[in-house]
Amino acid sequence: MKQHPLCTDTEERLSVGDLPVPVELKREWSWLQTRRHFLGRSGKVLGWAAMASLAGDRALRGDASGADAASPSGTASADRPRLPHFAPRAKRAIYLFMSGGPSQVDLLDHKPNLAALYDKDIPDSVRGAQQLTGMTAGQARFPIAPSHWAFKRYGETGTWVSDLLPYTARMVDDLAIIKSTNTEAINHEPAIMLMNTGNMNAGKPCLGSWLAYGLGSMNDNLPTFMVLQSKLNTKENNQPVSSRLWSSGFLSSEFAGVGLRSAGDPVLYLTDPDGVDREVRRKMLDAVNEINRQTFAELGDPETNARIAQYEMAYRMQSSVPELADLRKEPQSTWDLYGSEAREPGTFAYNCLMARRLAERGVLFTQVYKRGWDMHDNVTGILPIICGETDRGCYALVTDLKRRGMLDDTLVIWAGEFGRTVYSQGGLTPDNYGRDHHPRCYTTWMTGGGVRTGITYGETDDFSYNVVKDPVTVRDFNATILHCLGIDHNKLTYKFQGLEQKLTGPTPAAVVQGLLA
Amino acid sequence: MNARGRLALLAGRFLPRDRSARVAWLAALALSALLLLLPALIRLDGRPHADWQQFLGRFHPLAVHLPIGLLVLVPLLEITGAFRPALREAAGFVLALGLTASLLAVALGFLLAYGGGDAGPGVSRHLWGGIALTIGSILCLLARSFPPEGAKGVYPATLACTLLALVWTAHQGGSLTHGSSYLTQYMPAALKRFAWPGSATPSANSFYAQRVDPILDSNCVACHGEGKVKGGLRLDSYAALMKGGQDGLVIVAGQPDKSLLLQRITLPAGHKQFMPAEGKPPLKQEEVALIKAWIQQGASSTANAVAGFSIREDRAEPPPQPVGDYSAFSAEIRRMDGAQGAKLRPVSSKPEDGLILFTVDVAPSFGDAQLAQFQKFAPYIVEAELGRTAVTDASFDTLRQFTHLRALHLEETRVTGSGLDKLTPLSQLTYLNLSGTAVTESAVAPLRLMNNLRRLYLYNTPAQPAPAADLTRPIARNTP
Repeated sequence: MKQHPLCTDTEERLSVGDLPVPVELKREWSWLQTRRHFLGRSGKVLGWAAMASLAGDRALRGDASGADAASPSGTASADRPRLPHFAPRAKRAIYLFMSGGPSQVDLLDHKPNLAALYDKDIPDSVRGAQQLTGMTAGQARFPIAPSHWAFKRYGETGTWVSDLLPYTARMVDDLAIIKSTNTEAINHEPAIMLMNTGNMNAGKPCLGSWLAYGLGSMNDNLPTFMVLQSKLNTKENNQPVSSRLWSSGFLSSEFAGVGLRSAGDPVLYLTDPDGVDREVRRKMLDAVNEINRQTFAELGDPETNARIAQYEMAYRMQSSVPELADLRKEPQSTWDLYGSEAREPGTFAYNCLMARRLAERGVLFTQVYKRGWDMHDNVTGILPIICGETDRGCYALVTDLKRRGMLDDTLVIWAGEFGRTVYSQGGLTPDNYGRDHHPRCYTTWMTGGGVRTGITYGETDDFSYNVVKDPVTVRDFNATILHCLGIDHNKLTYKFQGLEQKLTGPTPAAVVQGLLA
Repeated sequence: MNARGRLALLAGRFLPRDRSARVAWLAALALSALLLLLPALIRLDGRPHADWQQFLGRFHPLAVHLPIGLLVLVPLLEITGAFRPALREAAGFVLALGLTASLLAVALGFLLAYGGGDAGPGVSRHLWGGIALTIGSILCLLARSFPPEGAKGVYPATLACTLLALVWTAHQGGSLTHGSSYLTQYMPAALKRFAWPGSATPSANSFYAQRVDPILDSNCVACHGEGKVKGGLRLDSYAALMKGGQDGLVIVAGQPDKSLLLQRITLPAGHKQFMPAEGKPPLKQEEVALIKAWIQQGASSTANAVAGFSIREDRAEPPPQPVGDYSAFSAEIRRMDGAQGAKLRPVSSKPEDGLILFTVDVAPSFGDAQLAQFQKFAPYIVEAELGRTAVTDASFDTLRQFTHLRALHLEETRVTGSGLDKLTPLSQLTYLNLSGTAVTESAVAPLRLMNNLRRLYLYNTPAQPAPAADLTRPIARNTP
């Protein structure tokens, strides 16, 4: 038996070293067995502990800059700038999230040859060995369902757009349409988590939280990251959207998205109750903060500080939110553009208008959710409804930002979590069909700061089934968004569970250069 | 002496005695005469003719390079022949080859012009240049093969003239293909001033002169200009543009849909009437939009603003000038943060990218006095977000000192635009947002002097133009 160099014990006895086990295990065992090693390590631990307490807890955290930039008092240090990594093209972003999986075949990915293939089976060579969802895996046939709607070419770019999107059609020259977005998840929850947090499992921070953590706030009176949910339409198949999607994960909960309600008061209990004036409220908060500070001194949990910051934010929002939600000063041209629907809180159009108002007020990241794109059946019945709800709002937002000179430094993103199959789920009739989830390709668009507009990026095959040119994975998509905001996706990291965690995950991601202006 | 004898004597005086030389001289004369008569025999009438002529003619741009290369080689061979006689011997052969190639090029060029219906002073100049240089090379060949006694300088002089004609002709040809400003377009401004004193800067500051004309000049004037006048249309001046061509007016002020020019440049690529024709690159989307907006708003030659139109140029914005080192101020910057509420943030991790001034938290109470306190950091601020603040026209005095300012947000403030001209020295300013203010068209006019100002936003101001299109009707284009 070979002795460990530190071990001076020469006594002969049966040892692990003689057993037929891997050499790594033997080494580990010998380390654990060595008294000197134990003492040596213990000494180092004490030394590290002493050093850590001298340096303060920030030294132990992965990245000091984020904490710095986002400190509630807003004192970003001008002498130690870290983020953005380079001069950004966009200072803020608005993300229109189409939850449920919009049908690319019926909206933007025009496949004129499909009309001739009505009710023909999709070739096996196209489908390959893909595993389908439980909803269509049992189907005997996969009949091709050409889009029910006609497509026309619009704009100087001559981009094909479905008749379902007459407003989007008018702004095609301002968009970068990505036909080759693709994801690895085939069901809603993992797919929507992947889009938002870069991971199918819950618990990771979402895009908005990473941005808030990295870039900090431009306006201390409003949250850095806001979430607007649109009202449900019960005719549509609404997949759940939960606060996990705007969770800050392992980042401080200061960076989580703050939701505005779609009906009634935008924020609950924002108005002081009768008999409580601003001053009383202030005194109460000061007292609560004092208690919280004591708790922090006692236990040292950074979440306590996050709670103090959130109380303070809520106090400031008592005056900033009513001003935000007061639409009386909007000129008539706003209503002409967004439509009268935008006057009704909670509609998608209202949320688009609100997103513009938030952007004007320095909110870094606003995410508008619209649920209901999940159409397993009755596509011809439901799709026109949801397009009618969203099409004009999207157009109005982009046009409004453009005429106000805000599109130069605001990034706008339109995306769902996946696409839909070209073959019909359930029965295919001349008038109707259903479409199942389709992760291999779906269409998204971006516009605004840093994005090359008037382009279509990526191509799909004749069946809108597989990407044949310039695929854009979810991580590439997110890396590109970060890039527009001046962030190197490989450098915005946070040490957690022994990893340098980042939005795009451990698999290498690439900024899509073809999408950049 | 009979008449015949007299003629022989006369001819003998001018023609060499040697029989082969005499034949050569006669052949040369005949060929030259033919070349000189060619334009008179077959007139370039500006109408296209048979396709085969164009087909062959389009090999002209390819074939011309052969005589150029060969003829330029001749003097080189003659000079280097002083050291290596074999090279001088080759010069005659190369010259003969060059002459043959010139004849071929002239023939193809003539076919191109005749078949394609090209006419115009530029085409004529190029044609006569080609003829002249071909005759020149005939003379060169003669003078070299049968040097006239007692006049040694004839051949070098003829060769020099031929080469000059060659350069001139080649330049004329180049101007036809690429436009007359092709060579000088990217000439350094200093050099331009030196070369054409007095004409250095365009006098007109109009939208037409600054934005529209350059597009026409680089895309259209090669065929619709002084050189070539295809379809009877010239686009090299405002008057010519508005006059139109054979098919009538090409610009109908205020009516882009009726403007032939816009129709032609927005046809689907590949359409027979699509412009620019002949496989030249189509106009960029921004260029089309710009021309459209200009027509929409009256196609004026003098208006110096197509207001509300965000001016984007495909030319890259000037690279940002790095700001100086402000690290000495960092403590003060942080103090300002606390005291004012307004934030000065670094643009990026690179200090030379400068600082952004954010005021959104404290906008209602941020006025001229508060802005003045940032004067100290003026040269380091590249972007000032003053939207919805209480600043007024008085702040232009402070802002003019922000020498590195690239973007200025004044939307929904109380500025009226009086004193906006104080900003004109800000050479780095590319973005100015005055939306929702009371600025008028005359107030923003001085901004047109700012060459780098690419994006001026005037939404919801008196300076804003009428909405460009009906907002409720989808505009389908290129519908199959």
